[in-house]
Amino acid sequence: MRQVIRTLNWTIIFLTVTTFLLPVTIGISLLRILEQPNAIGFKEPTVSFSNGTFSLSAPFYINNTGYYDLSDINVTILIGRNNTTLAAFSSPLLNVPAGTTLNSSYDLSFDIEKIVSKSTELLTDDTTLNLSISTFFEIAYVMSLGVSTNMTTSWGAPFYNLTVSEVSWNFSTQEFTVVLSFENHACFTVNGTILLEMCNSRSELIGLIETCLDVPSDSLFHDVLKLTVDRSKMTDNGIIHIYFENVQILEEWFSSE
Amino acid sequence: MSEAEVEDMSVKELLRKSIPRIFRATVVAAIVGACLLFSWLLFSAPLVRLYPESQLLFTIFTWAIVFFTFSIRVTDGTILKYCFIIGRAFFLAMYIIYATNGGILEIDFMNFHFSIGFIPILSLMVLLSLLAMAKGVLQAIEFTSESPKD
Repeated sequence: MRQVIRTLNWTIIFLTVTTFLLPVTIGISLLRILEQPNAIGFKEPTVSFSNGTFSLSAPFYINNTGYYDLSDINVTILIGRNNTTLAAFSSPLLNVPAGTTLNSSYDLSFDIEKIVSKSTELLTDDTTLNLSISTFFEIAYVMSLGVSTNMTTSWGAPFYNLTVSEVSWNFSTQEFTVVLSFENHACFTVNGTILLEMCNSRSELIGLIETCLDVPSDSLFHDVLKLTVDRSKMTDNGIIHIYFENVQILEEWFSSE
Repeated sequence: MSEAEVEDMSVKELLRKSIPRIFRATVVAAIVGACLLFSWLLFSAPLVRLYPESQLLFTIFTWAIVFFTFSIRVTDGTILKYCFIIGRAFFLAMYIIYATNGGILEIDFMNFHFSIGFIPILSLMVLLSLLAMAKGVLQAIEFTSESPKD
């Protein structure tokens, strides 16, 4: 009996020391990582917007100078507007063994059509977006740490103040002339094809024109588009639809008089 | 000697034995309480700011530990001592689970929300308490087997 009690006693002492040393060494390990000036960092991100897809790639590195492995590192970003979640992104689970450096990149891309279907104003109106960022990782496979924060960011519309003006019928050339203008307030270059469809008052298609866009950030687009239309279907007024990569971004009535 | 005199003598004898034991138990419990209070004074300021509930939790912990220390000391040499040892281990297991919210602590600091999960470490702590309870049971069995029969 005494030997059993003595064994239990030693087991308890060993486990107590382990239980208290483990969090302490984990804390020291974390401090060692954070003490390094270049422990975690991001490099210059690249943002592109072409063919209806928005892509962001943010290269980053994690230098694990601690004693324990960092595992299941995950970053989740939720983008919302007016209590509606527009997009959710999550990185794959990464591992950084002790004494190594991880070089990776946070890549996210989304189809503009899906986002715009939830909030069409994003393409034409500047607004404020809610960002919810959360990071999670495990250290030594026994302790998990998570940090999350909410913030707001301003969104610059890529087709701000999109206007169709000076719609006129040219008798000599038998063409409609349309002036299309907008400002690119977004932080990326707008690249893609814009389609202008002209319908009569009965919503029958009478003409269309496609034009390629390459509008840098913070610049004005102003172009005169000339459409050849089916005269037999023409009415005094009609409707103009503008699509960008198959997403309708404007619908406006016009009068040909 | 009359029966009343015998009874008076045994009460005196009991008091003579008990008072030093109670005094020793009080001193040890006071020292334990003072140590806990001192450690609280050292770490409370940042802890309360981050985790306001910690003050109440620590008060419960301190009073419970002081109570068990006093009880274990005062009942030294009796079977009750082992009952209190088992009770203390059981209390610590329940307290650790409750105070750590099942091994997941959540703290709000400025605009950030931190969550710390340590379920494997908590399991180890609970295992420790279970081992302490088992040890208490074995010690109680040993004590009863060694005690002279009435």
